[in-house]
Amino acid sequence: MWRLNKVRHKAGGHANNLEELRTKRREKERALRQARRDRQLVSKRLLLNEDEEQDTMEVTPGEQDVVTLFQNLQHGGTEKEAFLRPLSKALRNPSAQLTFIKLENSMHLLVGLLTGSDARCRLQAVRCLHELSHSTHTSVASACLPATPYLLTYLSGQSTKFTELCLYTLGNICPDSERVKERLLAQGIIPALAGCMQNHRHNLAVVEAAGFALFQLLQSKDAVQKVIPTVLASSLPSQLLSVLTPDPDFGLAPAIECAWCLHSLTSSSEDHRELLARGALRQCSSLLVSLGGAVADGNTDQGVELLVCPLLRCVGNLLSSCPADALHSQLAGVDLVVLLCELVVALIHTLPALARETAWVLNNLTAHSTESCSALLTLNLVPRLLELLPFSQGINTMVLRVLANVAHKKKEFCIQLAELGLLSALTATLKMADQDMVTLSLEVLFMLIVSSPQIAEQFVSQGGLSVLEAIQYNSDGEVRRRATYLLEQHILSEKYISMLGEYEQDRFNKFWLSFRYSAT
Amino acid sequence: MMLQPDLVQLMAMGGSQTHNGDEEEGFRGAAEQQEEGNPFTFNPQLLRLHRDHELFEDGDVFRHMYLQDLFISEAEEQPAPSISEFGCHISGCRAVFSSLDEYEHHYNSLHRHVCCSCRRSLPSARLLDIHIQEWHDSLFTILAQKQDMYLCLVEGCGQKFRTSQQRKDHLIRLHKYPPDYRFDKNRKEKGTREASREQRTDSAMEAADDVCRSEGVCEVICSVESNQLEQEESMETHASSEEAAPFEDFSASAQTPETNTERLKPKYSYRVPKTVCFGHGSVRGFRGQRGRRK
Repeated sequence: MWRLNKVRHKAGGHANNLEELRTKRREKERALRQARRDRQLVSKRLLLNEDEEQDTMEVTPGEQDVVTLFQNLQHGGTEKEAFLRPLSKALRNPSAQLTFIKLENSMHLLVGLLTGSDARCRLQAVRCLHELSHSTHTSVASACLPATPYLLTYLSGQSTKFTELCLYTLGNICPDSERVKERLLAQGIIPALAGCMQNHRHNLAVVEAAGFALFQLLQSKDAVQKVIPTVLASSLPSQLLSVLTPDPDFGLAPAIECAWCLHSLTSSSEDHRELLARGALRQCSSLLVSLGGAVADGNTDQGVELLVCPLLRCVGNLLSSCPADALHSQLAGVDLVVLLCELVVALIHTLPALARETAWVLNNLTAHSTESCSALLTLNLVPRLLELLPFSQGINTMVLRVLANVAHKKKEFCIQLAELGLLSALTATLKMADQDMVTLSLEVLFMLIVSSPQIAEQFVSQGGLSVLEAIQYNSDGEVRRRATYLLEQHILSEKYISMLGEYEQDRFNKFWLSFRYSAT
Repeated sequence: MMLQPDLVQLMAMGGSQTHNGDEEEGFRGAAEQQEEGNPFTFNPQLLRLHRDHELFEDGDVFRHMYLQDLFISEAEEQPAPSISEFGCHISGCRAVFSSLDEYEHHYNSLHRHVCCSCRRSLPSARLLDIHIQEWHDSLFTILAQKQDMYLCLVEGCGQKFRTSQQRKDHLIRLHKYPPDYRFDKNRKEKGTREASREQRTDSAMEAADDVCRSEGVCEVICSVESNQLEQEESMETHASSEEAAPFEDFSASAQTPETNTERLKPKYSYRVPKTVCFGHGSVRGFRGQRGRRK
């Protein structure tokens, strides 16, 4: 079980520690980012003993001890447990891990102890395996293969601590190599996980561990073909959904793991029928509404964004598969629209990346739902969305896309949007350096102008003509075409010229005459 | 940019979904647009994001920070959102601004009152008018031989003079203008066409340089090849001696690809003749054409 409060506690240490911690975190973050870009993003977890503090990974005694301990074990008789404990500590050391697996018969011995009649030895043996599983060397994971059928068998047992260790061990080794993963799949890891989650559903620590193991399995590159169909056919989807609501006492951790599993399922595979049939969209969206409200208000448990993030992604991707007419029944009603708007506004300064994901979900919600679009207007959410238009890096383009979705539905909506300030916002967004913003702004402008003649007049009176004229010199051909089309077909016709002063009218008429003359 | 449709990971499902019965009032897809040649193509799109999508990067990184016990929920660690910049549209002008005011000021100062013929930028509509008349209007040149045509630059004064020098003296004496007032440059006297092109090139270049320095024209305008200026000025002399010259030919030759890579001339649709300066405050920019339309 992962104790976020411990992390917080550490951060409250004195200045030196804090600075070191920050530097270490930043480096780690950089490394993770690069790993993700390389499609090599994998993490392992180490379950500490209850008596251990986090971050006190002492430098353990060197390799010699491992060899000695192993030899002692081989000859140990009834005192094996006495050697197993120090062995597990020794195996925290990476080089000791490598040494150990190279010793002849070492794994055979360990497996023997794992499956022997001494329960305490079993526990210590699995702890040794767990330490080994945390190694970054793939050879170590492969060396653990002889133990896997037993680890899987034990998942249907009743001992909770033991099961937890088995789960984390399996979760750690399965992403390490194709061979390991194939073997685990063949040995039935998916039904074993399903059974385990079912049996231990009241023990949230075990549920969390099972969620982690499943998540690791779902990260493999060919998960879509090899893993996901089996998972969807099992009882795992229902179980994952049932764990989503966080337990107030235990905390967010199990829900976090299950939500990330669901995200892996929805984002890797295009087939969402199974999940939709089980009410995944409804559940995720209603949970989002209840949790997200807290985030938007600012009172959050530390780390609730770790749960909100995968929920958002599930809703976003599930929405993309949900037929428009089924949307109403699948969703938590109009509350979702409200929540998403509040969330994106609340997160823009604290977690802009998450705000961007929220805006994406809002796009998917409004794309084909007139009801959602109408709600944005009647619940006075549009002005708040307009305030987001200055923010770049994908946020303003997504928000503008949402507004475009609204405009696209009805001419009435266009008129309302213009009244609420979208038209004047566009005169600013048309000048942005981001070409996507400019293109999208032109599209929205077109929809507004075509919906009502008053809007075109308003646009001209707000000085829109000069912007469009400037855009005709833009380097992008598509952008120029759109600006020219708008000017020629919809704005520069005689009725708007009455808005210009007399001096300019005279000029304009001469211009227009000669233009027509030369165009023939 | 993340959401370009050609990204492999991004799948959009648009159009195939049934609309909610408001088809009469909404916008149809581009294919069904009533007007031909309508370039607008927006349709609401469902965006499905694959797990490896760029948009998910930050969230995934936080997830793994959490798995590795490095997660901190404190806001201090998160980066602030970035604000969009504004960018000048004029192709070749790469100016970028952090506020709308800066953008407006840039545009109004450098691109708004631009003479179509010689690309010089003037600070106001009135001075642009006067410039065009005096530099590019052949009718003006003819009339100026017989009457006072050079208008005082000070608005409201209204006095006219036979030569630009006289006007300049007037500006200095009466209105206390500095002798080197930047917006009252003389148009260099043109020799006959037989005069060496190099000379004219030089003077044209000089004029351009002066413009660059004194009139604060942006880089794009300064980079106009001397060829082009020369050709345009020779177009002037042509216009006064010939009737309705076919300018299209000249324009075409002036716009051979080799001469100018940083071309200011936009590529118009076929319906817009090249000689019409459609932008830069089109209503006013048109002024430069008046004298040619004979």
